[in-house]
Amino acid sequence: MKTDVTNENNLGETKSFLSFRLGEEHFTIPVMKIMEILEVPKITKVPQSPNFLVGVINLRGAVLPVIDTRIKFGMTQMEYTINTCILVLSVEVNDETLVVGALVDSVSEVFELNESKIKPSPSIATKYRADYIAGMIQEDDHFMMVLNIDKVFSSMDLESMAESKEVKVEENK
Amino acid sequence: MEEMKDTYIQEANELLENLESSLLSLEDNPNDNSNIEQVFRVMHTLKGNSSMFGLTKIAEFVHDLETIYDKIRQGEMNLSKEILNTTLASFDHLNRIIHDSELQDPKNIENHQELIKKIHTFIQKESTATNANVTSATTMENNALRTVQVIFQPNEDLFLDGTNPLFLIADLTSLGKNCVIPHFKRVQTLDEYNPTFCITYWEVYLETKVPKEEIMDVFVFVEGNAKIEMNEFPYVNLISNREFITTVNSVIFKDALIDKVILTEQIEKVGEKVSSVTPNAKGVIVQDADAAVRIESKEKVVSSIRVASDKLDELMNLVSELVTTQASLTLYNEKNETPELEIISENIEKLSRRLRDIAFGMTLVPINNMFSRFQRLVRDMSETLGKEIQFVTEGGETELDKSIIETLTDPLMHIIRNSLDHGLEKPEDRMFLGKPRKGTVKLKAFYSGISVYIQIIDDGKGIDVEAVRNKAISKGFLKEEDVLSDKEIFDFIFFPGFSTAAVVTDISGRGVGMDVVKRNITDLKGSIVVESAVNVGTTLTIKLPLSLSIIDGLLVEIEKVNYIIPLSVVNKCYEVNNADMLHNFNKLLVLEEKQVPYINIRKEFGYQDLVEDEKSQLIVVSDGDHEVGICVDYIVGEYQAVVKPIGKYYKNQDFISGATILGDGSIALVMDTHKIVELYTEHVKMEVR
Amino acid sequence: MKKNILIVDDSESIREVVSIALQSEGYNVFTGIDGQDGLKVLLENTNVNLIISDLNMPNMNGISFLKEVRKIDKYKYLPILILTTESQEAKKLEAKQEGATGWIIKPFVKDKLLAVVKKVIR
Repeated sequence: MKTDVTNENNLGETKSFLSFRLGEEHFTIPVMKIMEILEVPKITKVPQSPNFLVGVINLRGAVLPVIDTRIKFGMTQMEYTINTCILVLSVEVNDETLVVGALVDSVSEVFELNESKIKPSPSIATKYRADYIAGMIQEDDHFMMVLNIDKVFSSMDLESMAESKEVKVEENK
Repeated sequence: MEEMKDTYIQEANELLENLESSLLSLEDNPNDNSNIEQVFRVMHTLKGNSSMFGLTKIAEFVHDLETIYDKIRQGEMNLSKEILNTTLASFDHLNRIIHDSELQDPKNIENHQELIKKIHTFIQKESTATNANVTSATTMENNALRTVQVIFQPNEDLFLDGTNPLFLIADLTSLGKNCVIPHFKRVQTLDEYNPTFCITYWEVYLETKVPKEEIMDVFVFVEGNAKIEMNEFPYVNLISNREFITTVNSVIFKDALIDKVILTEQIEKVGEKVSSVTPNAKGVIVQDADAAVRIESKEKVVSSIRVASDKLDELMNLVSELVTTQASLTLYNEKNETPELEIISENIEKLSRRLRDIAFGMTLVPINNMFSRFQRLVRDMSETLGKEIQFVTEGGETELDKSIIETLTDPLMHIIRNSLDHGLEKPEDRMFLGKPRKGTVKLKAFYSGISVYIQIIDDGKGIDVEAVRNKAISKGFLKEEDVLSDKEIFDFIFFPGFSTAAVVTDISGRGVGMDVVKRNITDLKGSIVVESAVNVGTTLTIKLPLSLSIIDGLLVEIEKVNYIIPLSVVNKCYEVNNADMLHNFNKLLVLEEKQVPYINIRKEFGYQDLVEDEKSQLIVVSDGDHEVGICVDYIVGEYQAVVKPIGKYYKNQDFISGATILGDGSIALVMDTHKIVELYTEHVKMEVR
Repeated sequence: MKKNILIVDDSESIREVVSIALQSEGYNVFTGIDGQDGLKVLLENTNVNLIISDLNMPNMNGISFLKEVRKIDKYKYLPILILTTESQEAKKLEAKQEGATGWIIKPFVKDKLLAVVKKVIR
């Protein structure tokens, strides 16, 4: 992917982003939010937990919850391939920093981009929850969605999930 | 001494707590001698401590108070209500003055005198004339140097109480220039020889300025065991006299003192030169049987220091790491079977276990410390409210983080106050309802998983769900059409601005605080739940995490997933046929002639059901007062688990209280059996509906 | 050779004050929180040279403790000092009769304590 980093007239900051693939879709998130990228280890499923919560893994002695990002985006459950990996993300939820693992199909690349290049998301993004998407990047004919991961992974309400029946009603606060 | 003052106050606090609970139980059973003894004993210790620290005002005060109880226990006096009330008032006073030992606060002075007056009326103290000035009787004018003759004749059984006469002689000789002459009362023959008899006695000459009393003081412990004779010869320096020395030598080890006549003679013609001769009590065997002393610094000396809590946290973390690492080592060793390594591995396991226990011990205190404080509250309130109340505590040995206990006191106090005030009915009302006159408030603590539960249970009027619901609607917390479970409705009690008192009871407008209670508990990462039934009573359950959670657990496997069941709740394990459980209408198994309900955990966890032809392991756990079996596929063994939180995503799966990392790096989930039983019970209820 | 002293008292303050005083003089100190505990500590350690014990204690009081210690062959002649609050003559005598070597009257200052200890062990 080619990006325009030479344009000094842009007002925004230039930041690093990482792009990854979920199904056929490409998403990107700021590199700052990613603590590390892991291969998929043995995951222990917690009984009676919603489908998008894949389970917990041992991250060097800490217990890390792992989320099936595809389910979060209304896709089919993750199919594990050699490219499947876990992004370890630090997420801000109500002034608290949580660490969570996100399963993605594959990681594509890291690139730099001036924030001003991020455009408000057009209607095409409406198939996902609007607050999950921070904006769009257009490059030639490609579109890439910039995720607001604080929202995606903090959100405990499960509207977008295929199976929500297993989960007790949680949100009325 | 100053740094010890903290210890004094700390211990005084403990003693006072102890005193309080003894007094309260004394009130319930005024004739219970053991309580009186206990009260006396605590006072006695407090007095001793206070005087040791030079806090004479407190010591004297407690002394007077103690005298009352001494008389009571001797049967010279009867315990009256007034005495008890005065004692409790004194107790309050003591609580204040241990921080103001010099009575600098005028209020304390006033109180002090008033109480002393009262106490004195009880013990009819013959005024205060006792403190006569005995002190300055005679400061001795015999400050001049003189010779003193001391004859020390111990009884033969002197050794029996551990006295070493040589030390006394040595004490004596430290008082001045001296000459010691040992004598034998009789010489034992070899066949009658008994080394435990003291057959030696001593004749000591001292050149000293020390007054007679002080010399006698040397023998203070042996007064009943020895004959001590003392003669003073003023202005005479006998010891440096050569002729005297010769005389001394002639009588050494004989059964004869220096002849009086000779002595007098010599005293008379005493000379003043002569070089220093120090005859010595040599020949007497000094038994110093010290075999190699093992310096095993088993310092049970309980001195305390303050440690920053983050250092403790770090220690805990390191211990956790160590425990986990040790698990890997054990696993590695199982695979490779190196005998040498096995020994090392076992030793490390032992060490880490001990280290863990010590680390635990540093932060945890039994909850009892707090419980006894409430006893007083209940007593006082029952009097003001005119209610009869029985206060029961259970599980006081349950240990909690010290800081948690401190934060918890106020919320619990509040809850108990609410129970007493709003929950329990007046005796007449209770009789009318067919309940016992005495209302019961029970404070119960127990472990489950890595949590501690504290319950406050009363058998009062309960809370009306509908009343709460209506109030919630009127306050706008809830819409008319909302359907909520009772539990959810009771939750509104904790909403800020939801004054329970106004709804649930008609007494007092003090509805404040339940929201604060909840906040306090949430701050501790705990939770609180209300259950209540009208006229049956109310139960508040507080669940608190154990901040440091390394537990001994039973590692089991269900559907290829590893689980830990805390050993603290495990009673016994059985092997059972799956068929027996699958076709069991009552869901009860008979084990060792006991009927035990069981939980098919596969069903609760949404796994495949049990396979008919196979066997399962039934782990019988205790849940409060009950026993419940939980069936698992395999028992792997005991495992020391460092329990880590599994995070907020799983807050609906609260029957899993955490996770632990196994030796091979995989994860096992820690069960909260109490919650599993709850889950199951709810499940069953649903099915019944 | 360092002397080993066992302090038996249910009061932590006393144990602490006495321990610190004795340790500062180079004694090894062991402690027990009551008669029973004291007996346990005594049996666990090969060589105790002196016991300092309170009289009023829970579980096993000082007098019973004294009796028990005297029953142990090895400690028949062990010096034992008792701690009493003030001059309770009767108590002192009773203790003495049961084999106490001497007593220390509370309150005491360090020097007094050490002086009494030196009276019974060196």
